[in-house]
Amino acid sequence: MRVKNDTMHLAGVYTKMIFRSWFQYKVDAILRSLAVFCREATGILVIYFTLTKFDNLNGWNIYELLFLFSLLFVTYGILIIFFTGLRDFGGTVRNGGFDRYILRPRGLLFQLIFSNADWFAAVGHGGLGILLFLLSAGKVGVVWNGITIGYYIVTIIGGVLIQGAVFLFLATLNIYLLETNSIKELFYWNARKFAGYPISIFHKAIQFVMIYVVPFAFINYFPAQFLLRKEDMAQYPEVYMYLTPFVGVGMYLLAYLFWRKSIKHYKSSGN
Amino acid sequence: MRLSPYLAFAKKSFLQKSAYRFNHLMSILNTIIRIFIFWEIYRTLYGGRTEVDGITMSMVTTNFILSLGLEAVFGVDDYYLPNRIRDGSIATELLLPVSFHGRMLAGNLGNALFQLIFHFIPAFAVTVLAIGMEAPASPLVFLAFLFSALLGYGVLFGISFLMQMLSFWLLNVWAIMTIKNVFVNVLSGAMIPLWFMPDWMRGIIRFSPFSSIYFTPVQIYLGQLSGREILFRFATQGFWIAVLLAGGAVLWKKGQRKLVVQGG
Repeated sequence: MRVKNDTMHLAGVYTKMIFRSWFQYKVDAILRSLAVFCREATGILVIYFTLTKFDNLNGWNIYELLFLFSLLFVTYGILIIFFTGLRDFGGTVRNGGFDRYILRPRGLLFQLIFSNADWFAAVGHGGLGILLFLLSAGKVGVVWNGITIGYYIVTIIGGVLIQGAVFLFLATLNIYLLETNSIKELFYWNARKFAGYPISIFHKAIQFVMIYVVPFAFINYFPAQFLLRKEDMAQYPEVYMYLTPFVGVGMYLLAYLFWRKSIKHYKSSGN
Repeated sequence: MRLSPYLAFAKKSFLQKSAYRFNHLMSILNTIIRIFIFWEIYRTLYGGRTEVDGITMSMVTTNFILSLGLEAVFGVDDYYLPNRIRDGSIATELLLPVSFHGRMLAGNLGNALFQLIFHFIPAFAVTVLAIGMEAPASPLVFLAFLFSALLGYGVLFGISFLMQMLSFWLLNVWAIMTIKNVFVNVLSGAMIPLWFMPDWMRGIIRFSPFSSIYFTPVQIYLGQLSGREILFRFATQGFWIAVLLAGGAVLWKKGQRKLVVQGG
């Protein structure tokens, strides 16, 4: 019990330190959150303006599309509170910062997670996600009752775990490869730019990547289908609408095992 | 003015660019995928219709190939001045017997030339073979397109130039650069063809420099503008370049007097 309290305390201290260092430059901190919000809203503005001319995209109206986007932003907002340290892990390894973590008497993942939380980007992304949810949730014909709310919460957790697993996997790759940014750019950031659209409009190869390689489809498309029941779901197995939490937990466990196995082989880049 | 030192700067940034081959390959792939994805989105939106508001699907494809291709070429370094103010090297650079602005432009042009040859051309070849595009309306129109694209680069450079001057007053310009890029991305026609913007937005865009960057060259290429309209657009582009550079020059003068370099 004492150990657990101590851990919580340390997590609290880390969080306080992050806030302090951010608020050293208050105007800049606020501007940064705003900039992240605007940058992420770019894709939303584009789809909004496009749908003032064309009234639907493969049967999805603007509110349904905003709902689809909202799942992506809400999960990412939560994700970067916990996984920024893993997202930026490559840099930590290269500048030798990881060696410092190893010397400290605490779990490596614990330190990576709590000493790097990016609260301001979380406000930008999460704020946009919540705004989109509020704009769309009442207009997409979902009856919000115990079942749908429960489903939504489990989906969010699953979506965070899926992306967390991707980050953890890519972070682990850094132990073997010096440079993983290009892989991350291609498979994560690029895929994410289009993950807000219904995947049914894309080429089969792109759909394959979005379902089975970097499974963005399980973060927003399939869960949204459970709630919205659009026609284009007919081309996928119905069971996919229920898999998000399992994909999330499964991927995270696999990534975690990979991490545990690999960390034993860690050799410092030295300096 | 002697040109040779500036050519040397341009060459240096050209060569620097060629050092990261794998990253470069990935960024070409990135452009190709983006064009392809936008094409798929619009193909779905058109849903078999041959035209919407007089705009054919093939014109939309042409818009994306040209504007996303040019976007890859244009990539102006928004942090050229901010980085030099931050690390203090601006102090020594100001003492050099070459114009700082000339050096800045030369560095960016070297980069643009590299991107034109090794990014635009391969990405262009792959996408045109895969999804096709409109041919230019006539050889003369094609020349007008090239000239207009050059002016478009000038406008984008001017916007970046003006914004970079703010780094004399701000510790960190990342936030305002990011917000600037939102405006460029949404209003320039790179992510949404401006034909399809709501009328009230088009009204606003008309009085902004953003459509001068990619959309004007695209319209010229497609033969949407008459000879007189083309000349008027050239003048508009030139006007924006002059205004943005003049604004930047004023801030540059003021900023230099204010410049304090911490250590070095």
